[in-house]
Amino acid sequence: MIRTWLFVLLAFAATGAAAGELRPFTGDSLTQIQRQFAGRPFILTFWSLTCHHCAKELQALGRLSRNERKLPLAVVSTDTPEAAADIQAALQRFGLDKFDTWVFADAVPERLRYAIDPAWRGELPRSYLFDAAHRREAHSGMLGEAQIKAWLKRQRAGE
Amino acid sequence: MRRGTGRLILLAMALLPQFAAAQQHAGHAAPADDAQARRQRAWDERMALARPLSVGAALDAEGRLWLVRVENRRLLVSHSVDGGRSFSSPVMASPQPEAVMADAENRPKIAVGADGTVHLSWTQGLDKPMSAYIRYARSTDGGRTFSPPVILNDDRQMISHRFDSLAIDGRGGVAVAWLDARRRSAKTVGKSPQTDVGIYAAVSGDNGATFGPNRKVADHSCQCCRTGLTWASAGPVAFWRHVFGRNIRDFAIAGLGGGPVLRVTDDDWEIDGCPHHGGGIAADGSGHAHIVWFTNGARRKGIFYRRVAQTDFSRGGASPAMSEPMPLGDPARQAGHPAVAAAGSRVLLTWREFDGQRFSAWAMLSQDAGASWGSPQKLAEAAQQADYTLPLLDARQALVVWSTAAEGLRVLPVAEGQP
Repeated sequence: MIRTWLFVLLAFAATGAAAGELRPFTGDSLTQIQRQFAGRPFILTFWSLTCHHCAKELQALGRLSRNERKLPLAVVSTDTPEAAADIQAALQRFGLDKFDTWVFADAVPERLRYAIDPAWRGELPRSYLFDAAHRREAHSGMLGEAQIKAWLKRQRAGE
Repeated sequence: MRRGTGRLILLAMALLPQFAAAQQHAGHAAPADDAQARRQRAWDERMALARPLSVGAALDAEGRLWLVRVENRRLLVSHSVDGGRSFSSPVMASPQPEAVMADAENRPKIAVGADGTVHLSWTQGLDKPMSAYIRYARSTDGGRTFSPPVILNDDRQMISHRFDSLAIDGRGGVAVAWLDARRRSAKTVGKSPQTDVGIYAAVSGDNGATFGPNRKVADHSCQCCRTGLTWASAGPVAFWRHVFGRNIRDFAIAGLGGGPVLRVTDDDWEIDGCPHHGGGIAADGSGHAHIVWFTNGARRKGIFYRRVAQTDFSRGGASPAMSEPMPLGDPARQAGHPAVAAAGSRVLLTWREFDGQRFSAWAMLSQDAGASWGSPQKLAEAAQQADYTLPLLDARQALVVWSTAAEGLRVLPVAEGQP
């Protein structure tokens, strides 16, 4: 058991050194993210390694981020911290490791989900589009590049 | 314990920058070409969760309770003759350690025939996320020893063969169904409007000694919801989340014998994503199928029950009579992950609720094949993480097996009371 956690720690250390930081998402993380984007619109996306559609969603976001270097984006994995190595490898592959990245860190992940939004039943990918006043619009399933672009355009026009 | 390790992780994560820096200074940073090996080890470690919560359970013809669970990458089988108060010492049913998937929509399955044969099926995770094989083993000596496990999927690519379900007829028929991505490799799939996953099955007529070739039941299924399987009067019948049209993820039924795919829910849940939330099916003594499912559709949201009248699902043109969908549980408490068991004219429905802090286990019993129902019963709460509820039913007992992190494995009796 000790060995497992030691390994997790080392895996974190090894990959953490090379790529962006993967932060533990806990009860107050959403508040923290909103503070980071205070007064600005942003996209909050939840994904998992075990979700078939999520890879496609991350790929689309990665593609978009190549032209939108300042894409206001926070990416949260609903896997566990033990999966850090896999999560970071995936984020790197999609070119999203330089963004604000998190992983669910609670023995009862349902508590985190419920605190974010009781109407979210665990389907993935799940995204929230926050406008500048942080009124949010929830979306289940893939957003797709075109929809994100259109949303960005609207936000910029409103700013 | 789990809470403790959670804190340890947070502590570890807080210390990371220092650790990383210390590593670099000491010159011990892992070389880049080691990344694949490192990921592999991390995956193995993750799959080796010492005691995953998700278990499988069944009653045998004598009313004994059988349990299959995973510990240190091994399948352990035990049984109880006193309704779950005590269990026999567990027998190791898998000879080599392997990554048995036991988490949420995944769990090992167990079924016990009238002759005492113990059947097991499970999904063995492979080295790549979402890649797996479907496994089967059996015991013909009352659970003392198990046959070496076989791989049922005859496609052996390292791709997704997952979400197995198991059903027996008690007279030598054994069926296993699963979701299979073998078409993914075909070049045409990328351009096809169909999903790259379908439902496949293997059926045995000799009590699991041998299985016939894999059968494709249907293409175009949803990718990561558990499947359901039951043995109705005309043979094994599968129940799964299908994709209708481009992205309507409602449920379908089909006989494994090659019948039509029947749409049995019309919730119109259109989602270009993964619900991770399937349903269950059980055939009663008259051959009626009882289904439960989750949806977040335009027409219906929550968990529901419906009875599908007895029909020969393997014949073309079957269009069974169905009862109106009956909502279950409290949607405000995220009622979810429903399951169903049937025996004779008795039907037991169970589900899980979550109020933001605690899980609770619920059950509802019918004595007349689903025509009328007793009141919903709250059976227990769990302070920490909790598995789905598993209903077990025969003529004399109605039980719910609930595996919980803080309180352990619970076997909860359902009150018979109401007619």
